[in-house]
Amino acid sequence: MVNMAGFSLEFLLLVVGTIGLALFGIFFGLIYKGIDRKLSAHMQGRIGPPIRQPFRDVVKLFTKENIVPDNAIAWVFNWAPIIGLVGTISILLYLPIGSINPIANTSGDLIIVLYLLMIPSLAMVIGGFASGSIYATVGAQREMATMIAYEFPFAIIIVTIAWILKTINIEATNVFSLSFIAANPLWGNLGILGFIGFIILLLVLVIVTPAELSKIPFDSPEAETEIAGGLLAEYSGRNLGIFYLTDAVKTVVMASIIVALFFPYNISGFFGLNNIPAIAVDFVFYLIKVLFVILFSVTLIRVAIARLKIDQIVGIYWLWITLLGLVGLICIMWDYQMMLRYEFYKPIFSILGLQ
Amino acid sequence: MIDTFLKSLETGSGFWNPLVLGLAIIIALLLIYIIRGFGKKDYKKGTEQTKAFLSGNPEYSKDEMHIKGKNLYWGFTQALKSVYNVLEKMHNGNTSDYVLWFVIIIGALFIIIGVI
Repeated sequence: MVNMAGFSLEFLLLVVGTIGLALFGIFFGLIYKGIDRKLSAHMQGRIGPPIRQPFRDVVKLFTKENIVPDNAIAWVFNWAPIIGLVGTISILLYLPIGSINPIANTSGDLIIVLYLLMIPSLAMVIGGFASGSIYATVGAQREMATMIAYEFPFAIIIVTIAWILKTINIEATNVFSLSFIAANPLWGNLGILGFIGFIILLLVLVIVTPAELSKIPFDSPEAETEIAGGLLAEYSGRNLGIFYLTDAVKTVVMASIIVALFFPYNISGFFGLNNIPAIAVDFVFYLIKVLFVILFSVTLIRVAIARLKIDQIVGIYWLWITLLGLVGLICIMWDYQMMLRYEFYKPIFSILGLQ
Repeated sequence: MIDTFLKSLETGSGFWNPLVLGLAIIIALLLIYIIRGFGKKDYKKGTEQTKAFLSGNPEYSKDEMHIKGKNLYWGFTQALKSVYNVLEKMHNGNTSDYVLWFVIIIGALFIIIGVI
């Protein structure tokens, strides 16, 4: 009976939490999209649309005709956007938001997040193939190649972080858990070499992010000027609107992953706050961190660099970014060995007098 | 009973609970389906608007416009051309060559294992 009550409470939390996170992801995703567009416009010397423009775009798309091409496989074509958005929203359940632990804290870790991140891309690929259009097919093929390319360096980052956490905390059995990673920031536990390695891994993740989000310079699957929008060429109306929302939520998801892995610090302790004020302050601080991550990994990169060809994308990720990731991994491993052998080799934070 | 049913799968390092994920997916699916329901459903079937967009080019028969699955890996084969060229030369269909490679790799493995 006790278990039944506990189960009901957990089920209720899951229902409310999923709906709340979905609305949170959509709302802030669209706001960040608006800020991104405004900032990139200013960087290019344009005024740009107002920050609320993405909300207007979605409303407009929902009032437009939802055309299903004659050549398309209608049910796959219609369901692909829904699956993509649902997959993206489900990732939010595993991510810490400020000082709030993930809702599915004990029900999944970073490995499941890595798998779930593939769902929106796969949904777009399936939707593209189901469109019955040559542009969409070419776009879908490029998205597949891009996806395979960036997964490898991304996996290196995750394995490195889990390895160093397990080495430092031998007793821990949940090193892949995002709440555990967020509760044990690595910066303070690394020596000089490890610190450099960790910065390299951050750089790798910052470069992986635009590809995850199909943003310039890794947007060859969509490439409006070349293949007329690629996988989205045949999408219109509410289906395109749902893909638009998926992109917005995925931006929040990717930025939240970078925040949880590399910048999990909160500021409520600094002000001596507790309970609800602490959660509120940490939440605002989290939103600011997400904004800065988006600014550096999406806005700046897409304004500064032109679109790459698909073979250049694969070459960059499989050769240079993977090599860079391995260099970061080796730095962190050497760092740990040196700390183990030489007593004078201390964490960089203690050298700087921060710990 | 429910606790055992809803228990997460654990490997010692990683863990996940497929049922929690499944439930979350169903809830999110219902929500998104409702949101999608606010959008316009209809369009003009059988008109020009349902034809695939080809930048004004004529649409040929499906066989002629088919893109082969081989193209899926074009980005890879092009980016890693130097590796693929070597591999293609090695893949010559001569069994004695394959046996030779087999022996060479076994020998290399023995050397590596012996040294370590």
